[in-house]
Amino acid sequence: MNSNKFRLDLTIILVFILLGIVSSFTLHELQPTLSGLAAQTQYMPKQILWYVLGAIVITVMMLLDYDRLRQLVWIFYGIGIVMLLMLFFKFPAAIINEANGATSWFILPGIGSMQPAEFVKVFVVIALAHVIMSHNEKHALRTNKTDLILLGKLLAVALPPMGLIASQPDLGGFLVLCAILGATILVSGISWRLLLMILGVVLGIATIVGLLAFIFPNQVGAFLQETIFKHVESRFLGWLYPEKYPDSSYQYRLGLMAIGSGILLGKGASNFQVSIPERHTDYIFSAIAEQYGFIGSAVVLFLFFILIYRMIQVGLESNEPFGSYLAAGFIGMFTYQIFQNIGMSVGLVPITGLPLPFLSYGGSSTLAYMIAIGIVLNIHSRTRTYMFETQK
Amino acid sequence: MSKKRKKKRALLPFRLNVLFAIVFLLFSALILQLGVVQIINGEEHQAVLEKTTNDIAEISVPRGMIYDSEGKVIVGNEPVYSITYTPPKNGDSADERLELAKQLADIIKMDDEAIEKITEREYKEYWYLLNTKEANSRITAAEKESLDDSEIYNLTLERITEADYKELMTDDQAKQIIAIKRELDSATELVPHVIKNENVTEKEYATIAENMGQMAGINVATDWKRYYPYEGSLQGVLGSIKTGIPQGEEDYYKSRNYQLNDRIGTSGLEMEYESLLKGDKKRVRYITDNNNNIVSQEVISEGQRGQDLQLSINMDFQKELDKIVREELKGAINKYPGANRYLENAMAVMLNPNTGEIYAASGQHYNREDNKYESADMNTVFTAGAVGSTVKGATLLAGYQEGVIDPGKSFYDTPMKIKGTPEKKSYKNMGLINDLEALQMSSNVYMFNVALRIGGEYNYQKNQSVSFNQDAFRILRNYYNQVGLGVETGIDLPSESVGYVGSKGQAGNLLDFSIGQFDTYTTMQLAQYVSTIANGGYRIKPHFVSEIHDPSNEKDKLGPLAKTKNPEVLNKITATEEQINRIKKGFKMVFQTPRGTAYSHLSNEAKTYDISGKTGTAQTSIDGTDLENWTLIGYADSETPDIAFAVMVPNLGIISGGQQYPITYNIVNRALEYYYEHTAPDDKDKEEAE
Repeated sequence: MNSNKFRLDLTIILVFILLGIVSSFTLHELQPTLSGLAAQTQYMPKQILWYVLGAIVITVMMLLDYDRLRQLVWIFYGIGIVMLLMLFFKFPAAIINEANGATSWFILPGIGSMQPAEFVKVFVVIALAHVIMSHNEKHALRTNKTDLILLGKLLAVALPPMGLIASQPDLGGFLVLCAILGATILVSGISWRLLLMILGVVLGIATIVGLLAFIFPNQVGAFLQETIFKHVESRFLGWLYPEKYPDSSYQYRLGLMAIGSGILLGKGASNFQVSIPERHTDYIFSAIAEQYGFIGSAVVLFLFFILIYRMIQVGLESNEPFGSYLAAGFIGMFTYQIFQNIGMSVGLVPITGLPLPFLSYGGSSTLAYMIAIGIVLNIHSRTRTYMFETQK
Repeated sequence: MSKKRKKKRALLPFRLNVLFAIVFLLFSALILQLGVVQIINGEEHQAVLEKTTNDIAEISVPRGMIYDSEGKVIVGNEPVYSITYTPPKNGDSADERLELAKQLADIIKMDDEAIEKITEREYKEYWYLLNTKEANSRITAAEKESLDDSEIYNLTLERITEADYKELMTDDQAKQIIAIKRELDSATELVPHVIKNENVTEKEYATIAENMGQMAGINVATDWKRYYPYEGSLQGVLGSIKTGIPQGEEDYYKSRNYQLNDRIGTSGLEMEYESLLKGDKKRVRYITDNNNNIVSQEVISEGQRGQDLQLSINMDFQKELDKIVREELKGAINKYPGANRYLENAMAVMLNPNTGEIYAASGQHYNREDNKYESADMNTVFTAGAVGSTVKGATLLAGYQEGVIDPGKSFYDTPMKIKGTPEKKSYKNMGLINDLEALQMSSNVYMFNVALRIGGEYNYQKNQSVSFNQDAFRILRNYYNQVGLGVETGIDLPSESVGYVGSKGQAGNLLDFSIGQFDTYTTMQLAQYVSTIANGGYRIKPHFVSEIHDPSNEKDKLGPLAKTKNPEVLNKITATEEQINRIKKGFKMVFQTPRGTAYSHLSNEAKTYDISGKTGTAQTSIDGTDLENWTLIGYADSETPDIAFAVMVPNLGIISGGQQYPITYNIVNRALEYYYEHTAPDDKDKEEAE
């Protein structure tokens, strides 16, 4: 048994290392072009440090059996909720940081800043997987009733952090949790009928909101102004009508110009013609696309695709359904972030503040994703191949 | 059961595959869109980028700081919140600026000073923007025909009367808008212009930061302002800075890359060392598209904040000297308020005679109108007075070099009377004295003889007229100039006074000239003169700045040394070493022999310092009242001096039947006591240095 204790998924590790190299190199290239406050920090060395820390976290995670997570899950979840509540109540005020109108960060003296939402995403995945596992163990026979109960449990776990993150306001974080919830519901075993109904409800609400916004744009706009999502409307309009709303679409237009002008082969290393605010974080993809063109961008997309593909494989191979649920949650998390981030850079979706996993600079997000990768690697390393299964 | 279990096991892989299908679709959408953006529309984007324009903006950097000899900050930079406005390329229109000003007026409050500055024209311009139609209607069609745009605008403004804008003058909000708009109007395209940087409250800062998106060009930043930890000390020498190019000097500053809103040193060291203190501006390249939107900004050079100055001034010594000079001035005025009713200034300079490094320079002024004592350190280079007998060392040097006397030459000191002029004498009859005794007791008659001989008159007879060459003035003045009397000292300040330079004159004037009663000199000139004697004949520029340092990353710490200011010798006097030593010997007798004029005034402490120097008293008058200027110069120790001093107190009263308050001696006694106790290099250091 012990001989394959550290069965490593070399593909994931290779992709992880390659993304680390791309990230550090891009930050290094980008550094001279940063201005303002951003120019005062050297990002590449710090990002490398985060990667090293992350690798240590992954190694530590490998020593634990991921099944143990089920015993600790509510502690993690509780810690996550407490941190979000602290932000919500702005207590203690000394470590709360309000920036750009959002309360999403702690400032820890001597350590730096920390964004609890990033860790909460991981905790929620574990909690949801655990809830599904426990439920399915108890209710071997599925009925509509048990499915509804399961759905209720999942919502009960997911909605509190979703609400707290939305109130920061952090629309991006909220949507990631939606994606996690969606992916775990999909694999939870709930019947297709119910799934289609949920999909119908979600689409229905979206349609009604969309129609309302289309027919009564001013009223909806005025309503949104009253809520914490007042910047959402302007970003949406900026995305829809970039020419009409030049201020709201500023970043969007710059991003498209930077990426577009990279054409097939790019402008070459360190050649930037367009400067974009926050390029070292949310807009880092535009830096890769401007320097290395379609080819470079496609390579990065391919790396991400391989990563997700391998995670699907890990989920499929796992002997334990718990491992599959975890994998599905993380797939939802990563896929949505990658899609949203690159999608907004290339104009596919409106702008929402979300980092690009593994590439954007950021301590909290990088560490949280490393924990997720650590868990996925752990699932893989604990998966046993039994001889009789080959007959299947 | 097993069938069901199998079904359940099969369900999970299927659902995972569905998930994978969704992932695949999303990634396909991304790669497709990427293809559209980069391959199909890529060249369009490239074309847009190529149509952009390129501008370089220069952004000010913090000014260099000033430190004292111990590395303490004398002039520092204090970070302050500031609210800035960066106009887009080609600027915003007047209406846009008005709109911006209105938005800002809701958030920030301008200083009262800015409000008080509002001019009539500004009221009119604002009224015009509010009532453009009404104002335009006051111009006739014919006038519009015949005048150009700016003439029409000026005429329109002229026709706006006070009755029109009277309401604005009591409307606080309107005044705020006008004051803000003034700042917006004076900004240069693409260069951040400070709208407000004094007393920006945290609330203002935060509100602006939150609403930046709604106000194009408005930004918050940290700016700096000067602070003076030793406020009140050396303020004049340190100088001041002002925002904006001084009027009439636009060409000078613009050709040196200054912008209208730059801060410029306008006096003192701030002005003298402007080119070092100002630093290199940060240069940013802005690329803007057809709609004047900034597409990209690239820092071409980070720039560097100005270099720091380290002064030879020891701020503790400076503060102490300020205190001493002020207390002694007060002491003299309080002791004889009547006799000293014209007394209002006292100056003292302490410096290294070998290098010209100034340790402390103090000028104290009694403001009789406000009954207040204030620092006026620039008086050390600007206030010139007749200095009296302190020049006698220079007079003897002239005599030796002209060959009219030899060291050791004796004259008989008894009152002199030239026909048709008042009798002239020393303060007592000294009998037969040599050159050393002439310095020791400060004989006027000895100097008169030297002066007459320089003029070619060797045969003075009592009550006879004398004949002398008018060139004597020029000759004597040349020798004085050699030691720094009557010429610029070359001090590192933007300007200094050379004192009054008399023209040719009568025999009486020549005699007065030889005892320091004709031309006038500043305290700094006296300091240079005594240093020249002390160091063996080198006239050295006195200076405040000893080192220049590159900016450091640590707050309020000196950075790496960039340049040391070496002693700068202006000239070597032509006297021989023997002749100079003769003067030094005389100077020593002034302070260290009982018959010396300074001896009895020295404190017991001061008697141990081995001081050499010269006293001086000059007769002057104001409004017919006879007064005296007192001077005292010297150095210590006598052989290897490390400090020289010059003190001047003009317009002391004459006390009949009593002793004047010994102000100059008290200043020197106390200053030297402080120096030897606190700042002098102690013997151990000296030994190590040797």
